[in-house]
Amino acid sequence: MSKFEPLKEAARRSAEALGITEYELYYNENGSIGAETYRDEISAFSSSVGGSLSFRCIVDGKMGYASTQLLTEDEVAALVSRAVENSRISEKDEEAIIFGGAKPEDYLPIEEHEFVMPDAATIKNIAMDCRNVLYAADEMVADGTECGASAGESTIRLFNSKGLDLSNHVGNTGAYMYAVLDNKEEKVYDFDSEYNCFDTLDKQALADKVLKGAHAKFGAGAVKTGKYNIVFSTKQASNILSTFVSVFYAEDAQKGLSLLKGKVGEKIAADIVTIIDDPFYPGNTMQISFDGEGVPTRTKNVVENGELKTLLYNLDSAKKDGVDSTGNAARGGAGILTKPYTFYIKPGEYSRDELLAKAGNGIYITEMKGFHAGANAITGDFSIESAGFMIEDGKLTRPVKSLTIAGNFFDLLKQIEAVGSEIELRAPSYTRVAAPDILVPQLSVAGE
Amino acid sequence: MISRILLEEVLHKAMSTGADFAEIFVENTRSNSVYMLDSKVDEISDSTIAGAGIRAFNGLRCVSASTIDLTREGLLRCAGQVADVIGEGKAEVSIHLVERIFPDIHPVKIVPDTAFKSTKVDLLKEGYFAAKNYHEDISQVSASLLDVDHNIVIANSDGLYTGDRQIRTRMAVSAVASRGGENQSGFAGPGRRMGLEMFDFIHPKDVGEEAARSAIVNLNADYCPAGKMTVAIENGFGGVIFHEACGHSLEATSVARNTSQMAGKLGQKIASDKVTALDDGTIPNAWGSMNIDDEGTPAQRKVLIENGVLKCYMIDKLNGRRMGMEANGSSRRQSYAYDPTSRMTNTFIANGPDKNEDIISSIEYGLYCKKMGGGSVNPIDGSFNFSVSEGYIVRNGKICEAVRGASLIGKGSEILMDIDMVGQNMETGQGMCGSSSGSIPTDVGQPLIRVKQITVGGR
Repeated sequence: MSKFEPLKEAARRSAEALGITEYELYYNENGSIGAETYRDEISAFSSSVGGSLSFRCIVDGKMGYASTQLLTEDEVAALVSRAVENSRISEKDEEAIIFGGAKPEDYLPIEEHEFVMPDAATIKNIAMDCRNVLYAADEMVADGTECGASAGESTIRLFNSKGLDLSNHVGNTGAYMYAVLDNKEEKVYDFDSEYNCFDTLDKQALADKVLKGAHAKFGAGAVKTGKYNIVFSTKQASNILSTFVSVFYAEDAQKGLSLLKGKVGEKIAADIVTIIDDPFYPGNTMQISFDGEGVPTRTKNVVENGELKTLLYNLDSAKKDGVDSTGNAARGGAGILTKPYTFYIKPGEYSRDELLAKAGNGIYITEMKGFHAGANAITGDFSIESAGFMIEDGKLTRPVKSLTIAGNFFDLLKQIEAVGSEIELRAPSYTRVAAPDILVPQLSVAGE
Repeated sequence: MISRILLEEVLHKAMSTGADFAEIFVENTRSNSVYMLDSKVDEISDSTIAGAGIRAFNGLRCVSASTIDLTREGLLRCAGQVADVIGEGKAEVSIHLVERIFPDIHPVKIVPDTAFKSTKVDLLKEGYFAAKNYHEDISQVSASLLDVDHNIVIANSDGLYTGDRQIRTRMAVSAVASRGGENQSGFAGPGRRMGLEMFDFIHPKDVGEEAARSAIVNLNADYCPAGKMTVAIENGFGGVIFHEACGHSLEATSVARNTSQMAGKLGQKIASDKVTALDDGTIPNAWGSMNIDDEGTPAQRKVLIENGVLKCYMIDKLNGRRMGMEANGSSRRQSYAYDPTSRMTNTFIANGPDKNEDIISSIEYGLYCKKMGGGSVNPIDGSFNFSVSEGYIVRNGKICEAVRGASLIGKGSEILMDIDMVGQNMETGQGMCGSSSGSIPTDVGQPLIRVKQITVGGR
């Protein structure tokens, strides 16, 4: 089914005709289907066939890049000449690199996951079943409630003039419930999802979880402005780490955009904090053994017992620091970026109840919104709209909302007092960030 | 891009199982960006996005499919997938496409994709070095010049066959100021729906200096205190407050599904008397403007709120069916790969009755937000948040020291009533708005306004 082989040949011919000897082709093709419900029917169904081809080449030591979704042999010739033209305005000092330096055994095998693309009827049935279970479970379920199911698969091919010819194929399914409850006085909502379990999905359990989460939010009140002990739920701790993950990228540090610049070997977090980046995280159906430049991927501790062990590198940033790439190159709109794989704070020993008991009095945060605007990775500052539950004498009491939590990520890493044992991972993905429940004392909260 | 005959064939295929409406959207978009860092041209991005999105309706149900395969076989396969899911059995329809060309109200003098790359590099360098050389504490600058040439063709089973070419240009400069191990940042990013002639009146030097100025102000600022305060929000990108607090809740996307706090409130008073707000996609060459929307409906100037009374929603075809109302030039999508839905274009609060100086002098203690960052909203309960990227404490009617790290949170319905003063210096600012149909260019805007009371997140 791959259209890659003829495109590869076309690119090879075009490069040769222009005298280009160092180049790389990166290709992906993907397909997806999904359905969602509104009220008592499938309101939307979509399917997509997508993909793109990008070409990088080195001309006079400078890298040129261009990409296209027009996957025809004619377009490939234009693509190659655009990349050559672009190389001429690059002013980067560093010598550009096309990777050719690994042995076949350096590429570790990924977990095998059997995947068969479900048909449209299956997707519609799962979405409708979820809808029916959710509506039957609670009379307060109101407009805005949505259930859905989806499936997608994608193939990556990387071919270069140094002899690399790599491929990776992955596929996933998912189902979600988004419940809006209306008790005539106010509306509350909650959301949850499950992945790769169409055959075994316990819809009732998922509905119960979502409904319980939503019900608990009725009657949320305000908090007084002040300092509070905060327990971030695993989802919110994940959101925070995810927002600031770019501070661990060597290229950001080199650009002066990360305050972790020059901090390798230093303490940057509390002793109990260990952060791991794992391309082979067990059970993740989106594993990959090569990065966006073809470098083998590997698992590493980024922070170990509070000490920064390494930043995340691609070939370019590694060369600048005189180290080896960590295999964290990713493809982006303008060429090569840096991305983690499953990047997570290692869970600790405390159950959620124990963590709440340790907090004593404070707030358990279960919702945070607007990270794209309210947090700044360059400074580490954040001020985020949040909601959750009061913790009184170590127990959850009333729900609260319309508050903001403000702090600084770099301070927060050092202030983490306890790390919980519960961790929820997000949807399978090449890149995902996770953290368990964490306790941070005395953060600033704005409310009434 | 694709012949009229083939478009008809594709629409027939999509309708072949009983859909009552079908549409095809074909796109070819060229985008270029030049990115500078460390005083050098660091990256050049150059991409072509091309594909087709096909939709069919049956009553209130919508089925869509998209593909990058623009061959006859690829398009018919895509239409066939839509037909398989939207209906059963066989249906005969007659579709005859008649081409229509709408007037171009956004002329372009210099198509950026055809200009010399060196011309763009020169413009970018002017902006870059204006920031870099602004102050000795400016430690890093990144800057980009982006241009997009978005060609679309739309055909539907009502016989509509039309297209548009939407060209836009934007320069963005981010400056970082550092001192004593602390970083602060500043940003400026003007854009227009036009070509490189944008730089005839937006000077790259001013863009760079503005980013650097803001970073330096923040470097010298202390953290903003937390609590409820009176807040004055400046013009330009300050209009993001209306965009988040109200605009999204007026999109048919949430109104039609009864998930908006504004559903069912047409004709009712939802804002203070001083608030008149518009969504206007017809402003010549404005960042969020267009000739037609992504369903082929001409752009419109819509008064959303007049003297506090809700007058109209932003409506696309599918949600219009649910609401029993006509689409009004509000349907937008990032690309063929997204389903279109109702979105904003250029949305702003109009000038009001108050003098700007009176607004500041009326505040005994509060916050003056000179520049805003982005924000987000949940239309279900209208709760919103947004960040203040440059703020000052106001004491006894005077703007005093700068403060940083503040955010504003509240509820849309409440803040609209609490806008108790509206000034007279309406200006817009450019943003990219993200929602279910992707990321699209939108203008936000307002004159200086005063909000009686709002929760300020700080520490």
